[in-house]
Amino acid sequence: MKKHTDQFNKQNPHQKVEVPRASTLLDFFRKINFIVFEEKPPGGILFSIGALTSLLMVIPILYVLIQAARADQSKWARLLDGRIPELLWNTMSLTIMVTLSAVLLGVSLAWFVHRTDLPGRRFLKVLLSLPLVVPPYVGAVTYIIFLGPSGRLKNIWDAVGFLPAFPFNPYSFWGVVFVLTMFTYPYVYLITGSTLNRMNRNYEEVARSQGLSTWGVFFRVNLPFLRPAIGASAILVALYALSDFGAVAMLRYVTFTAAIYFQRAGFDTESASILSLVLVILTLLILYLESMSRRRTRFSQTPSGFKQPQRLALGKWRLLVTTYAYSIFILSVVVPVSVLVYWTIIGLGRGAIDTRFIGFAWNSLQLSTWVALFSMMLALPLVYLKGRYPSRVTRLINRLAYGGYALPGVIVALGFVFVFNNHIPLLYNTVFMLSLAFIVRFLPQAMQAADASLALVSPKIDEAARSLGHPPWKVMYKVTLPAILPGLLSGGALVFVSAIKELPATLMLRPPGFDTLAVRVYFEASEAIYHQAAPAALIIIGVSIFPLRFLINKY
Amino acid sequence: MVEKKRINSVLVLLLIAFVILSACQNVNDESTDNTADDDVTEKQLVVYSARNENFVQPLLDKFEADTGIEVIALHGAEPLQLVEEQNNVQADVYISNDLGALGYLAMNDVLTGTELEGIESIPADFRAEDNSYFAISARARGFIYNKDLIDEADMPKSVEDLFDLDLSTIENGYAITRGGNGGMIGHVSALRYEWGDERTAEWIETIRNQAAGIYNGHGDIRRAVGEGQHAFGLVNNYYFHQQLLEPTDNNVGFIYLDQEPDQMGAVANAAGAGLVAGGPNQTAGIKFLEWLLEPENQVEFVGESLELLINAEYGAEYPEEVAPYIVSFDELHIQEMPIRELGQYFEDTRLLIESSGLDLELR
Repeated sequence: MKKHTDQFNKQNPHQKVEVPRASTLLDFFRKINFIVFEEKPPGGILFSIGALTSLLMVIPILYVLIQAARADQSKWARLLDGRIPELLWNTMSLTIMVTLSAVLLGVSLAWFVHRTDLPGRRFLKVLLSLPLVVPPYVGAVTYIIFLGPSGRLKNIWDAVGFLPAFPFNPYSFWGVVFVLTMFTYPYVYLITGSTLNRMNRNYEEVARSQGLSTWGVFFRVNLPFLRPAIGASAILVALYALSDFGAVAMLRYVTFTAAIYFQRAGFDTESASILSLVLVILTLLILYLESMSRRRTRFSQTPSGFKQPQRLALGKWRLLVTTYAYSIFILSVVVPVSVLVYWTIIGLGRGAIDTRFIGFAWNSLQLSTWVALFSMMLALPLVYLKGRYPSRVTRLINRLAYGGYALPGVIVALGFVFVFNNHIPLLYNTVFMLSLAFIVRFLPQAMQAADASLALVSPKIDEAARSLGHPPWKVMYKVTLPAILPGLLSGGALVFVSAIKELPATLMLRPPGFDTLAVRVYFEASEAIYHQAAPAALIIIGVSIFPLRFLINKY
Repeated sequence: MVEKKRINSVLVLLLIAFVILSACQNVNDESTDNTADDDVTEKQLVVYSARNENFVQPLLDKFEADTGIEVIALHGAEPLQLVEEQNNVQADVYISNDLGALGYLAMNDVLTGTELEGIESIPADFRAEDNSYFAISARARGFIYNKDLIDEADMPKSVEDLFDLDLSTIENGYAITRGGNGGMIGHVSALRYEWGDERTAEWIETIRNQAAGIYNGHGDIRRAVGEGQHAFGLVNNYYFHQQLLEPTDNNVGFIYLDQEPDQMGAVANAAGAGLVAGGPNQTAGIKFLEWLLEPENQVEFVGESLELLINAEYGAEYPEEVAPYIVSFDELHIQEMPIRELGQYFEDTRLLIESSGLDLELR
């Protein structure tokens, strides 16, 4: 299958058609067309949909950056003087610590599960990926309830009497590091796990025959092979730590993302734009570092003679490792879920589930479903353009459409407020505006899924359909769509879950009277009304479990 | 493969069901809209509120039940959002905890005056001359303190005491809110009126540097003080009342500031509502404000907030845990600045706070 695409692409250079001299205006346009699209112009309808979508993705962000560039000099000076250095320190130290500890946790757990005779490893393999369904802000709430200054554990601790002062404080740097690590390590765990699984045993055997110890094999053979996987997953974790608003805000730790939100909440949009510009630069820097490190190291495996990797007997380490693996599961899943269940039961008793609550749930469901539907619909032309009409323009369109992926929701929302309030007042403060912001953020997830499926469909099929007289959009709709529908639906499911969890953009853009479950969790928890926050949080987690299968397969 | 197909078709069916459901809902909405047009009277009201949602929502629910007008509420709305939306007005009524914010909006023509039935029940000091906004409940600033950490005798009794406080005697220090908090802005405006800008800036710098905790809102402070994270915190008196109601961490006291005859008196502020100029449902907005002025609803406005009703004779009821601690407004020595002048200070006060180093937002 893959071969077809390659051949197809390779035909390009040989096909050089003599471009006729531009004697008329029409010829001139045709010439431009050929240069820009590299002789493969897509159909007009398809192209316009793709181009419009990608414009939608960049305009709000550009708007923020322009606002920042045009902001008052004195504002810049004041922020650069104190605020930005402090935020840089807060944000970078947090990002680095979270990334480090998530990598440490994720890689070690993946190695224990996939390479040792850890008891119960078949269950653990799934259990350890479960924290992925707990949004970090929900995790933060549960740890505030559990470990906070008036939490259950502290009361027990104090009651014992002779113990030293209670050592845990979630409202601290280490508290934030702990919470973010607990709910992001599964990215590292899943990605390195699948690489470990595919690694050929031959290399390890050679290393061992040359006298390397287990540690030696791990550091000299496994780790180099894992580097791309670790790098890719570390980037995901780092980008998450940079963009997280909910957990950070609830634990009262201020990073760039939280500062942008608070500035906007206080309607100092100029400062918010300036801080956004710095955050965008930070994000790009991380992405650049990752692409650099990927360029330097390249490993390949010979596909022939693949042997399943060998499992190591843990021996005397068995008890220690088992305790370690299970305690991570307990800390990242059992504790949060039990706290939520406990408070949900209290909430049920006090009538937390009333018509208002059902209204919030309906808002969440409605919004997320529409966003998932539209993301699937818009992903298709974008992916199709890139896959079937590869050229500079279509690649650019594709890349632009991925923009919202890496950028924090607060910046996307800020751009939308500007654009809509100033230029499209009719749609300002509507669910439509909110949905569009969601699409900007989550469309890339649908695109990734669709892209992967499309790569498996031979372009020859499309060409046959084209030769029978269908225009490109119709081919896409009638021939390609049915073939990639499963992939597209799984992408839609991912978008749905992300939308149900979304917090910062919803807080900033929701029209009056349109609260979602996520917003309710945030408000109720910040007022310490846990019995009303818990049921909403539990619903979000419950819904997220549904597409977990896609998530696990994705990595 | 068969199983996968089944899952997919179930998904598609669910989606179709969802689309039909939402379509039905939209049709329903439209039909109610049509009847609204026929009746001329508006069936909707958009309320922006900066007041704690738990106090405001029951009031709005009661209005809905009493009048049948659907209330669409945006809680946590800053006054500046209304300024930003001035060319694209969304709200009909603005409810605020800070009369300064309401005054500021009125000055900038975001609010509009009108003849309101029942407005004479509000004393002239507590409403705009053109009635574009009015206050229902009042509060005084002071210190909530944790009795386990500090004795009443050791507590500072004046805002000026914060200038030369011996922090080593105060276990876990004290807490203030961020500079952009409505209560803090009102307080600083009053100090500017009393002291002038220079000394006020000095005061802001001092508390910014000395405070052990800077919080988003007063609710955070009362809980933190109740939990013993700080010895005391600068809040409005009704947060003390609320903390008394907590099942635990309720061993707290309250100091009304500057009560000696030669001192400035406690800084007061008030909560109320205003009519937004050019709102989409202005008739409903006026109806809401007149409804709010009814004695019964003035009491409801105070609700669970445990603030002091300006018209104390309407008889706001307080729980038994709180009732003994209620100090009515006329028993207090209140600072002389008329509350409704706060609006003129609003913008400059924000600037002064920020330039004195206390950020408007959390950092």
